[in-house]
Amino acid sequence: MQIQGCPGSRMMSFENKDAKDSGRVVGKIQSQLKQWPIQMHLISPTAPYYQNADVLLTADCVAYALGDFHRDYLKDKSIAIACPKLDQGQEMYLEKIKAWIDDAMINTLTILIMQVPCCMGLLNLAQQAAQTAERKIPLKFVVVGVQGDILQEEWV
Amino acid sequence: MKPYLTKGIKEIIDQFPEVEKILNEYDIGCGPCNVGLCQLKDIVEIHRLPVDQEQELMARITKAIDPEAEVKIPEAKEAPPPEPKAFNYSPPMRKLVDEHVLIKRWIALIPEVVKDLEVESQAGRQLVLDGVDMIRSYADKFHHAKEEDILFKYFDENSDILKVMHEDHKQARGHVQAILEALEIKDKNAIAEHLMAYAGLLTEHIRKEDEILYPWMDSSLSTRQVGELFSKFNEADLQMGFSPKKYEAFIDSLEKKLNA
Ligand SMILES: [Fe+2]
Ligand SMILES: [Fe+2]
Repeated sequence: MQIQGCPGSRMMSFENKDAKDSGRVVGKIQSQLKQWPIQMHLISPTAPYYQNADVLLTADCVAYALGDFHRDYLKDKSIAIACPKLDQGQEMYLEKIKAWIDDAMINTLTILIMQVPCCMGLLNLAQQAAQTAERKIPLKFVVVGVQGDILQEEWV
Repeated sequence: MKPYLTKGIKEIIDQFPEVEKILNEYDIGCGPCNVGLCQLKDIVEIHRLPVDQEQELMARITKAIDPEAEVKIPEAKEAPPPEPKAFNYSPPMRKLVDEHVLIKRWIALIPEVVKDLEVESQAGRQLVLDGVDMIRSYADKFHHAKEEDILFKYFDENSDILKVMHEDHKQARGHVQAILEALEIKDKNAIAEHLMAYAGLLTEHIRKEDEILYPWMDSSLSTRQVGELFSKFNEADLQMGFSPKKYEAFIDSLEKKLNA
């Protein structure tokens, strides 16, 4: 069968994962979120929790796909979320990322995106902002598969 | 076998030369290391071989040390074609790897410098002094200082591998001192000897860092620490009080002169 259309919105259903879930955690999982708001349009890039922080810029879908998002990625980090495909006014995002780097003096920036091609826009945006910022910081990107697997994790 | 796991590799190789050959086959080149006090178990761990290869390696070493030992050496599989090593260094490690490039360009020129070595004229002596300045200011003050004063502090400095790195730096300083003393008395042979020894030492030292030490360090640093190292390195460069550009220009012009 030939698959057509945008891979970013193609329908798929996944097998029952129960069998795979061997490392089951008992009890309630603690949220690692330590700030509000988180949506890129709503955040202030110079809020106290961004100062000198390790920041995650995460595509909206990532936290739903990644089973261990809180424990493996969000812990000890500050965050903002965005959708590079659907959000309006992304020039604003560019300015906010620059302000993170130059004004909030963030320590590192990790961009988490889904494997779908339209998500690359978020990485491009971050790279563009990092290039125009005056300070330089380490930039990392993580590509998450639609079934929550880490497909790539690299320093830019 | 157990007691050998915590023995220095040089001692093991001296006693069982076969072990060096076996390690070489797995791309673990301990032979030329001039310190060799890393323990066998750490060496195996730090190279992060695939599990089956590690088992095979340990079985073969056990056999080489004690031919009577009962070990099952896993069937040798067809060796996969060697892949070119491309490491995804974190930005601070990438910076150190990039700094090695200028040091390696200098090392590559040393045999030529030695061939035309001349200590009777002011120009001949100046070339030696410029080379020494390249080593002292760029390789040692600019580069090794970031390793010793910043990077190594994030790890156990009493570990064998870091002791070896410190020892290499120390020996390099010793060669520089010897070169200056020899220049003082215009002893051409001694200058040549120590320049070549420095080149050999640093070639091996840089290979160890690029291919083993830095990738291993990267795998154990947190994102937080990577960011800290990056800004501490930048800060250290600013504090240095001289621009590395001067040494790039020195190497550029020496390459032109010697390759002309
Ligand atoms: Fe070093
Ligand atoms: Fe080095």
